[in-house]
Amino acid sequence: MECSSLHRQLAIIKKNLFDQGFLDEQFYQLEELQDDASPNFVEEVVTLFFRDSSRLLTNIEQALREKHPQDFHRLDVLMYQLKDSASSIGAAKVKNECTVFRELCDKENLEGCLRSFQKVKKEHAILRQKLENYFQLQRQVGPVEKATRSGN
Amino acid sequence: MPDMSVGTSYASSKMESDRAPDKFPVGMKVLLVDDDLTCLTVVKRMLLNCQYDVTTCSEATKALSLLRENKHAFDLIISDVHMPDMDGFRLLELVGLEMDLPVIMMSVDTRVNVVMKGVSHGACDFLSKPVRMEELQNIWQHVVRRKLLDNKENEHSSSMEEGDGCRQVNDDSEYASTVNDGIDGSWRYQKKKRDTKDDDDADLDNADPSSSKKPRVVWSVELHQQFVNAVNQLGIDKAVPKRILELMNVPGLTRENVASHLQKFRLYLKRLSGVAHHHTGLNNPLCGVSSNVKVGQLGRLDFQALAASGQIPPQTLAALQDELLDCPSHSLGMPAVNQPVIQQSSIQGTNCVTFERGIAFGHPLLKGQAISSFPVWSSNNIGAVGASSNLREMNSSHNNNMLMTMLKPRDPHTVPSEPNHAINVQPSCLVTPTKSSNTFQAQRNSIILNQDSILVPSQSSSNFQAGNTVLPVIQDSVAITSQSSASLKAGNNAFSVNHRSTMFPSQPLTGISLGNGPGILNQTSIVLPSQQLNSSEAGNNCILLNQNPMSVPSQLLSTFQMEKNIIPVNHKTSLSNDSSFVNYNRLPARPNNIPSIMEQTLDGGSDNLCAINSYSVPVSVSSEVLSNTGNVAGWQLHPPDVNIGHPNGSLGLGPNSCNIQATDALLGILPDRGQGKGLGFVGKGTCLPSRFAVDDIEYPNNDLANTSAYSGDDGYILNQDICGINGVVQSGPCATTGFK
Repeated sequence: MECSSLHRQLAIIKKNLFDQGFLDEQFYQLEELQDDASPNFVEEVVTLFFRDSSRLLTNIEQALREKHPQDFHRLDVLMYQLKDSASSIGAAKVKNECTVFRELCDKENLEGCLRSFQKVKKEHAILRQKLENYFQLQRQVGPVEKATRSGN
Repeated sequence: MPDMSVGTSYASSKMESDRAPDKFPVGMKVLLVDDDLTCLTVVKRMLLNCQYDVTTCSEATKALSLLRENKHAFDLIISDVHMPDMDGFRLLELVGLEMDLPVIMMSVDTRVNVVMKGVSHGACDFLSKPVRMEELQNIWQHVVRRKLLDNKENEHSSSMEEGDGCRQVNDDSEYASTVNDGIDGSWRYQKKKRDTKDDDDADLDNADPSSSKKPRVVWSVELHQQFVNAVNQLGIDKAVPKRILELMNVPGLTRENVASHLQKFRLYLKRLSGVAHHHTGLNNPLCGVSSNVKVGQLGRLDFQALAASGQIPPQTLAALQDELLDCPSHSLGMPAVNQPVIQQSSIQGTNCVTFERGIAFGHPLLKGQAISSFPVWSSNNIGAVGASSNLREMNSSHNNNMLMTMLKPRDPHTVPSEPNHAINVQPSCLVTPTKSSNTFQAQRNSIILNQDSILVPSQSSSNFQAGNTVLPVIQDSVAITSQSSASLKAGNNAFSVNHRSTMFPSQPLTGISLGNGPGILNQTSIVLPSQQLNSSEAGNNCILLNQNPMSVPSQLLSTFQMEKNIIPVNHKTSLSNDSSFVNYNRLPARPNNIPSIMEQTLDGGSDNLCAINSYSVPVSVSSEVLSNTGNVAGWQLHPPDVNIGHPNGSLGLGPNSCNIQATDALLGILPDRGQGKGLGFVGKGTCLPSRFAVDDIEYPNNDLANTSAYSGDDGYILNQDICGINGVVQSGPCATTGFK
């Protein structure tokens, strides 16, 4: 089929996302939830995620900039939320970085938190980009087998 | 089939499952609560794919109101742990309390303590996020399980409550949720945060138990007492739920409630007997407690009165309670049994020993009080009695040895040898020699009340004589000699009331004569000679009240004669020389307690007893000083409002070292341990040893800054570390204050 190359491309992109650790097992779960009744489920959820998480990141950033003394507890709570969301869609790298941040928060290491936060932001942005591409390509390819756990 | 007229999904599910078993869990109604939309969406989808009926809620408060509107609308609740408007655990508790529905927690944070918290708050499962589909496929089992459990209970009761107005029997307060790690899951968990009964009442339908899932009955102290009374009356072996229910005569209580409670009680007893074997050492006949409040007739277990008045021998009750009242167990050790709060009632004098623990009846022991070391006893038996009680690090062995020594001369009663009368009250036993147990004579008996035993010689137990008996009242034992327990004579007895033992000689305990007996009240022991404790003669006695011992001689404690006694009350009592009687009288209530009350004379020469009226401040005796220094340490008197206690439960006697001068009337105020959780009795704060302890009293951390060290001949060790101090009680003069 003419889309085959697109399919292949899609498959490769997806594989990379997994191999490189951007996504994890949970993403497959999402895909499994997608069916005829909700054909765009994955994309919807991902969109939802990015929307909420962007807001969260802004809040965190603000909190980090703000006062002294730093309210680590609040930071922790916010980051926990982000981690929660990220894990729901399988955003592995983002999630991991959140964990790092929280640990630093526990230790009240402001410097460390700032650095870690930057990483979180970065991972978040990268993933967003990649997934956008992925979905775009997917749309182009058309309704194809989505829930392919074909590891490729 | 017992009527499970659950007109709700519950019922319908049940019915469905009856009729079309293969249908369920299809259509199972799930309420999903999570503040994170992404997660909510994903999980919802998964649940839908499992063919459940899903309602989502992003706010816990909203979820709660939904549930309150109609608790039968849902079969199962899944909730996140961290939510902005309400803590997931709190929601969990409330749901458990009010609606008694299975709740599954989820969180991305799966550290052990978090999961543990979930379990202890009653979650029936804990899922880690991200949640997978497979995990959700089986959650219906929790619904079924619960239903089955309820069914079983239902089946037990042939007669549904004649329900006129079923009223939820529960007392608020009393169950504090223990944070215990040991606590079992939801079905046993009773959360004490019930502020109002209304919710509960509302749950109960009049006329009939509306659903198979009845609202949980909260086994409050009072209720439990009634239960215990009934069981006693019938005899533990013959006690059947139906009869118990009849005897209890509590409106609103169903047979199945009783049945399940009985089941727990039996397990509890079994458990105790396991432990008991270990220790039996001392038998402690507990003297009846005459809580003032109802001193009235303490006839047979006047628990009710006690309970009612809140005075319940905390220990035993606590212990039992704990067991029965969903408590976490003893593993919690005598956990914070909130000690009896000697509440304000005490102010009224006499025996008011209200144990706050009570509130926690059975509840939770203080957190952290790991009384888990129950087994303490195992170590030195008798001697150990006190010592063992130490929860914490008691140097049990150390103590024990000491105790042993103490006891040695007399009678090495170690363990309950089968003396003539060995009354072994194994765990959770209620020994109630009822009625006129004129003399509870245990010649060479060992009455070992282990764990939550309640020995209640009711009525006129005129004397509790234990001629060479070792009466260890172990752990939560409550010896209640009701009514005129004329004298608790323990000549050569070692009576140790360990751990949360409560000795309640009710009414006129004319005298606690401890002939040469080391009496050790360890750990939260409370000796409440109510009313007139006319004389407490302890020639060569050591009454060690360790840890939170509370010796509350109410009313007329006219004389506390101790010749060479060491009555260390409370933990850290240090009695120097010989008799020291330290009464910790906890006067609940008022922090300003004026120690005035008990200032009785302590005859006995220099050795005086120290009565510490104060809030039970456990006089902490520096544990380390367990050496016989020979002189009385002196109790530190702190003005009543010395609060003892550092909010962290550090029991420390006030700022200064405790020195109780051997003068008369020293009031030592025991530091209030722990943060008082409102105890009148210092319960929380008071140094009641663990048992009575306050919840969260961390005992062990308290280090009593000042502890008086007793060094006395008889050096008993009293201390359990209530404050983590293994103090040695040295006998010293203490003034006893009459506790009124």
